[in-house]
Amino acid sequence: MPSDTLEAVSEIRELSYAEAVREALGQAMEADERVFLFGEDVGVYGGAFGVSGDLVHRFGKERVIDTPISELGIAGAAVGAAITGMRPVLEIQFSDFVTLAMEQLVNQAAKIRFMFGGKASVPMVVRLPGGSGTGAAAQHSQSLEAWFAHVPGLKVLQPSTPHDAKGMLLAAIDDPNPVLIFEHKLLYKTKGHVPAEAYRVPIGQAAIRREGSDITIVGSSIMARKAEAAAERLATDGISAEVIDLRSIRPIDFTTIAESVRKTHRLLVVYEGVKTMGIGAEISAMIAESEVFDFLDAPIVRLGGADAPIPYNPVLEKAAVPQEDDIVAAATNLVRRGEA
Amino acid sequence: MPVEVILPKVDMDMETGTIETWHVKEGDQVRQGDTIFEIGTNKAVMEVEAPASGAIRNIKAETGVPIAVGTPVAWIYRDGEAASEPAAAASLPPAEAPLSPAIAGPSAASGLRATPLARRIARQNGLDLKAVTGTGPRGRIGEADVKRHLEQPPRCIPAQEARPAPAPAASPSEGRLQPFSAIRRIVASRLSESMRTAPHFYLTAEIEMSAARELLRRLARRHERIGAPKPSLTVLIARVAARILRDHPVINASAEGEATRFHERIDIGIAMERDGDLVVPVLRDAASMDMPAMSREFARLRDGMAKRTLTPAELGGGTFTISNLGMYGVDSFTAIINPPQGAILAVGRTLDKPVGRDGQIVLRPMANFTLSSDHRIVDGVAAARFMAELREALENPEVLL
Repeated sequence: MPSDTLEAVSEIRELSYAEAVREALGQAMEADERVFLFGEDVGVYGGAFGVSGDLVHRFGKERVIDTPISELGIAGAAVGAAITGMRPVLEIQFSDFVTLAMEQLVNQAAKIRFMFGGKASVPMVVRLPGGSGTGAAAQHSQSLEAWFAHVPGLKVLQPSTPHDAKGMLLAAIDDPNPVLIFEHKLLYKTKGHVPAEAYRVPIGQAAIRREGSDITIVGSSIMARKAEAAAERLATDGISAEVIDLRSIRPIDFTTIAESVRKTHRLLVVYEGVKTMGIGAEISAMIAESEVFDFLDAPIVRLGGADAPIPYNPVLEKAAVPQEDDIVAAATNLVRRGEA
Repeated sequence: MPVEVILPKVDMDMETGTIETWHVKEGDQVRQGDTIFEIGTNKAVMEVEAPASGAIRNIKAETGVPIAVGTPVAWIYRDGEAASEPAAAASLPPAEAPLSPAIAGPSAASGLRATPLARRIARQNGLDLKAVTGTGPRGRIGEADVKRHLEQPPRCIPAQEARPAPAPAASPSEGRLQPFSAIRRIVASRLSESMRTAPHFYLTAEIEMSAARELLRRLARRHERIGAPKPSLTVLIARVAARILRDHPVINASAEGEATRFHERIDIGIAMERDGDLVVPVLRDAASMDMPAMSREFARLRDGMAKRTLTPAELGGGTFTISNLGMYGVDSFTAIINPPQGAILAVGRTLDKPVGRDGQIVLRPMANFTLSSDHRIVDGVAAARFMAELREALENPEVLL
């Protein structure tokens, strides 16, 4: 959050998540000529979700580059540009398409700094619009962030607010390592306070969105927002939920989660990715393995995506990922009856 | 090498014990056989003797914290042994570390479910989770259950809390706060558990004691002749009860989950008082003893109790209990079942009372016997049949022949 000083100088204004990302891109490009954008339809069309917007007109086609439909090519070019000193920011139009870029991201970008003994680094940023809820069906709706959180050498961010979207993108561009930012498509139109100046939100620090004493609800991206809304409803039912917005899943801020669970004795992890082998499993295991185990008064509960491709049918699509009602029900069950 | 002092196994099924009191402090000289600490099990308090003579060093165990059997709790250094011997460095795991299945982490076999937090709080308070009722799914014990248990009277005050001097009373009218002794804590916990889980019902019978008195008189002469202790009414009642219980297996039984455990042997506990505490030594295989044998065994238990030489095995594990308060002038009373037994017999005083006999009012020595039964396993008629036979046997002892 902005400091008091920043608050004083920055005008209070609301931006959408998409506008906040665009503002960060523009400010980074103004400040550093090595920064350039790269992706399918990011130029004249302004990006599939309108994120890059008018940037091509402000910075020209040399710095906002429309690419052919080849994610492997985009990623490979970005890795090469980064090694040679540029600061590429690429957009994978739908995060699902990142499967095509796996070789460059996992085998190259993540490894190069280590395999060359630190003589080369890969300061690139990959923006990946992801998640379900737009009726885009199974190949355009996935949440694949956990795959990359499994890879040493990559950083994986999931900002949930316009404020964090801007601040974390600027921090990612500064970072000498490859950073993947998963942006939930449903968040692009959400609004929030965004300071006008360029600021950074540190990578690897979770945010406590709401303090509580009965249960800790951990989520990132849109699930942090749903958890906040659920906590509001839980409060009217006498349940005090603490909501932790992870913001970054690699590195993960385990300390904040552990301290919270030590206090509340109950943990609910909410994530949109498929529940099996997901982020929730990792967080649950970290708590179970830690000294916080002795402070648990109920089983750890995961709410994750269904073990199924995201359906096209809008009713089923909603049912396939945790919703606010599910969070309220799971938290209530856990606090009142101690049930998983 | 210094001699290790370990937490001994003083009872068959004991897995942990709690040191209630240290009788020695760091550096004290002890002789082999001196009492060095008192250990509490879930049944009784035992004194533990020094295994060697020398100086006590490296006292590792705190009082009031459950410790696994076999854990070294101190060392005895014989003359000439330097305090820096390596053995002393062998460090004891933190007193909290060896979690006993009984206290903090019951084995899967015990079927006890509790959350890690509940176990932690129980451990910190020296509380046996078996005494706590779980309200969570499948009976799981949670933090709230443990806290509720700790708050309810009579509560189990952990030893570490009991150790400091009684807290200064807020006002003189509040009186003195006496922390529970180890035995009081056990009694409180077990009897609360009994009242909570066993639905008690009570049958009272007023029984004429003329024949029993006469029998005791004659037996006294015989015992004197053969050198057996003088028979007491309590022993006679125990003898009669043991004989009758053979024909009433359901009274010599325990509720075990959703089953009745019929005990093969009849082990009769006799409630006694020692220094204000309730203890229940057991007449093992009571049905096999005649009156002289039972009188001898009873005398041995009573002496052993006074001298505190009885083992926990001798102080627990009965299958039926008799509590006689007649000598205090109590007319009749209801007793709380000694868990996990199924019944307890409360005996009041014998008093000459007017009764009708053959159309006449005559004075006869009468005594009230009240049987408390666990209705989960004993029905009213079964208990009544037992009482009817008890009456018949006490009023006409020849039926036992």
